[in-house]
Amino acid sequence: CGKFRKIEKSPDWRVKYEAGLNYYAKKDYYRASVLFEQILPIVRGLPEGEKVQFYLAYCQFYDKLYLLASEQFKTFYETYGRSSLAEEARYMYAFSLYESSPNANLDQTSSIDAMAAMQEFLNRYPSSKFRDKAVEIIVSTQEKLERKGFENARQYHKMRQYKAAIVALNNFKNNFPDSKFLEEAYFLVIDAEYALAQQSIISKQGERYKAVIEYYQEFLDKYPESKFLREAEKQYADSLEKMNSLKKTNL
Amino acid sequence: QFRRRDRTTTPQASENNLNYANPAEYTIAGIEVKGINVLDKNAMISISGLKVGDKIKIPGDAITGAIRKIWKYGLVGDVSIEVSKIEGTNVYLNIVLAERSRLTAFYFTGINKTQESGLKEDLKLIRGKIVNDAMVRNTELAVKKYFVKKGFLNTDVKVIQERDTLNQDGIKLKIAVNTKSKVKINAISFEGNDNIDDATLKRKLKKTKEHPRFVLHRTILRELFAPKKYLEPAEKVSWKQTKEFLNENIKLNIFASSKFIRSEYEEDKKKLIEYYNSKGYRDAEIEVDSIYNHNFRTINIDFKIYEGPKYYFRNIIWTGNYIYTDKQLDAVLGISKGDVYNKDLIDKKLQFNPKGMDISGLYMDDGYLFFRINPVEVAVAGDSIDVEMRISEGEQATINEVTISGNERTSDHVIRRELSTVPGQKFRRSDIIRTQQSLSQLGYFAPDKVSQNLVPNPAKGTVDIEWKVEEQSNDQIELSGGWGGYYGFVGTLGLTFNNFSIRNIPHLKNWKPLPVGDGQRLQLRMQANGRQYQSYSFSFTEPWLGGRKPHSFTVSLNSSVQRSLYGYQMPDSTTANPTMKVHSITVGLGRRLEWPDNYFTLTNSVSYLRYILNDWDAGLGFSDGVSNSITFNTTLARNSVNEIMYPSQGSTISLSLTLTPPHSLWRGLDYSDPNLDPATKFAWIEFHKWMFDAKYYLPLDNKKKLVLEAKAHFGFIGSYSREAGIGPFERFFLGGDGLAGGFNSFLLGQEIIGLRGYQNNRITPPLYDRYGSVSPGRGVVQGGVVYDKLGLELRYPVTTGSAATIYGFIFTEAGNNWNNYEDFNPFNLYKSAGVGARIFMPAFGLIGLNWAYGFDRLPYAQDRSGSQFHFTIGQQIR
Repeated sequence: CGKFRKIEKSPDWRVKYEAGLNYYAKKDYYRASVLFEQILPIVRGLPEGEKVQFYLAYCQFYDKLYLLASEQFKTFYETYGRSSLAEEARYMYAFSLYESSPNANLDQTSSIDAMAAMQEFLNRYPSSKFRDKAVEIIVSTQEKLERKGFENARQYHKMRQYKAAIVALNNFKNNFPDSKFLEEAYFLVIDAEYALAQQSIISKQGERYKAVIEYYQEFLDKYPESKFLREAEKQYADSLEKMNSLKKTNL
Repeated sequence: QFRRRDRTTTPQASENNLNYANPAEYTIAGIEVKGINVLDKNAMISISGLKVGDKIKIPGDAITGAIRKIWKYGLVGDVSIEVSKIEGTNVYLNIVLAERSRLTAFYFTGINKTQESGLKEDLKLIRGKIVNDAMVRNTELAVKKYFVKKGFLNTDVKVIQERDTLNQDGIKLKIAVNTKSKVKINAISFEGNDNIDDATLKRKLKKTKEHPRFVLHRTILRELFAPKKYLEPAEKVSWKQTKEFLNENIKLNIFASSKFIRSEYEEDKKKLIEYYNSKGYRDAEIEVDSIYNHNFRTINIDFKIYEGPKYYFRNIIWTGNYIYTDKQLDAVLGISKGDVYNKDLIDKKLQFNPKGMDISGLYMDDGYLFFRINPVEVAVAGDSIDVEMRISEGEQATINEVTISGNERTSDHVIRRELSTVPGQKFRRSDIIRTQQSLSQLGYFAPDKVSQNLVPNPAKGTVDIEWKVEEQSNDQIELSGGWGGYYGFVGTLGLTFNNFSIRNIPHLKNWKPLPVGDGQRLQLRMQANGRQYQSYSFSFTEPWLGGRKPHSFTVSLNSSVQRSLYGYQMPDSTTANPTMKVHSITVGLGRRLEWPDNYFTLTNSVSYLRYILNDWDAGLGFSDGVSNSITFNTTLARNSVNEIMYPSQGSTISLSLTLTPPHSLWRGLDYSDPNLDPATKFAWIEFHKWMFDAKYYLPLDNKKKLVLEAKAHFGFIGSYSREAGIGPFERFFLGGDGLAGGFNSFLLGQEIIGLRGYQNNRITPPLYDRYGSVSPGRGVVQGGVVYDKLGLELRYPVTTGSAATIYGFIFTEAGNNWNNYEDFNPFNLYKSAGVGARIFMPAFGLIGLNWAYGFDRLPYAQDRSGSQFHFTIGQQIR
């Protein structure tokens, strides 16, 4: 540690620069980033400036400081837009945002940012060597958001707040029309509507059973081989029966 | 000096027929950079975004963009781009730069170290940056602003640029500050205020205050030397005159700052007018306010006020209301003809009334999110004003999407289950307020940062709600040491994690720095004083078992061991090593009830306790053996207090029943046999125990600060059969601070109840000796089987913010403890009274300090209990 202290104290930025590159090569990213950060304001506008900015971003990236790294990559491509490394920096900016995004059950602001940044990257460099990776990341982020949307809607069903579940699941169906959770969402709407109808007062039962029937028909047309079909069919049959008996009592 | 010049249209350029009317496209064939010593040519070209081979228009965006980019980078004092020559469609460019020096150091003169370090926070000087005019000017302004804010109005700041001799091309900034003296306010005077007196107006100037003074003696002396006055017949002096007289001569509040700060002064002027408006003086204004020097460091302020007439409400006319009638709206507004005119009051009653219903609330709670109201003064006749309330009711809105943002640690479902704003429901403002409260109370988020963003969609009649939160840590670490009576020093280490997540334990990646986010509560606690006494406990709570309803599930484990000092001193002694070990496990389920009202909770738990005694005399009537206890507990509680830390309204009531199975029915032992070995008899413990606790909070002032707490506690233990009798376990120990611990207390299996003004556990029959322990003579069972306790406490808070809650109190309490039902007499109590304070800080928990005086003499004692100090930790139930 004494050696590092000495370098840190050195008045000559070149010493720090060389040491920083050394540390970087030895994968001691923390120390490298400390030195790079110190000399960054001095080397701006010098030939080394570009390199330092780029390496600093990578140091933070490898240190798992993804949000900081994303900012550094952004600064890099905004400053050295014509550099040959700008493409990589743009990709890494989006990738760092992606890496910084937490699980689906937490705030997804950085996921949404990452997706937008990746899309912009693809628009700018449509034939980039990072292309496949970028597409993959967009897909996986999309999936994460789908999962979040679905789980949030499903929670109302779980908490037996059926009216809320129907609204939330229908919103999910609209927001993610090609999600892999769509099949289950369709089924849960039927299930929630059916449960709601059963709890309802007589005057409301008619329209709710009717809704079960309509949702079921839509579901059947869309997923004729669904594993939820058996359960849904039962509810459909029961709803038909209930509708008939309701009609009779009305007569 | 450092202007930015765009020289695309230089003389050469015009020679080459470049002009704005006729831009042409060229290919860059070469770029040169001129005027640099330190900076790198290629780096500057790279920054400019221009590249050899690029096709650009001249004149055009590319050139101006390049200039802007270089300029924005802040490295140079001047930039221009010239065309050096044109060959056909090829163009050669020159980037001409003027380098500027970098800041290498800065220092202050004329101020002290504290001010310097405070200032450095505010200054945005970064070494290595280029020094330019803006930097110098901004520094000057920032320094000046810093001192003006502190009351040094006449601060003079000069920033001087010096060559740094150590660093080539560097510039040192010398920041010379002359703060001069602070400006304070000597006196404030008013003119034209015929209806409101000076003192009231001065009070309304919240931040602009006079210098403290006390000149009563001077006035009195002056009066003494003018004896003429005394010869005149005595006039009756009114209270108003007395007040004026005192106000003129005394201002004793030395805590209110008398610094003159312009921005706060302007705010205060607005407040003055607001105050006038609220009293019906709708036209009031400050005609003139003059600030002039009183002496070299104080100023005087004179106000000349125009009050204008006092106005009154006449008619209130409602238009556009279809859902509610005029009468209903009038009732909510609560303003009648002839009331003093007050614009503020209208706004409050229309938009948000903290003390009750308001018009917006009436509509918004029924889904009318798009409701708008606009009060218009339609007629002013003399001193009477007619107000027309123009209402647009709009459609009822339904909640569509509900989203959550800002939760970086806490899972969506933990937050979502607390939301009262549910999709498909009609929008209600009261739900928003309720959700805001329940999110704040979770403790996971900064309470003042919980907010919502409403996105109404009038076309569809829906509204989307986004809940915004900001995480805060509310884990608690308790590290304390204290004198635990007999044991001497006892150290405690406690950890409470309030937002734990079991699910995240295997996922190291999600640790922040612990597995968090599922709202589970994990508590670990260790108490020890070396080998002699150790206690470990662990408790885990899942507040929503199954995620469907708020049914809490708790598991707790506890283990403690106590060794006699005597055994400890002779480690090789095999016979005499008295110890007592207690192990327990408890599993509990709790739920909120919806009937009779939703303040009720019901908790059921099962626990198993095992006592292992080895030559240990703890007043149990036996000293060797193993006792087992299986208990079922049911607690029905109602809690309606408005706040946890400083309750000012509401009550808590709890009734609890603890049962063991009636082992004596099937164990086949003859419990009536006096020779039955107590160790055998108590191998399986049996009892039933009833506890009742009630507290009631009554606010005594409007602000709900002065609060009276009244409490009553009662408990008794019974047996299933006369022969078996009441065992030695779970008995009551009354007196003192109510903290577990102390000589021969074994925490689990004793009910320790505080009664300030008496020594710890001392009110415990049958022997009321010094420590509440059993004196020699084994076989005596210590502890009461029935107790009661009553108390009154009058509290006043010092602070109740989120950072800390501190309050002081005076109290009186009384209680007694009996070891048989025959003696029980609820009016024969040991009484005490005293004062104290409690301090709560989130990281440390609640700490209390009490002094009490015990009025009564305990059996076998010489004197009344007298003066006692007590130290308490945590919220005390009893």
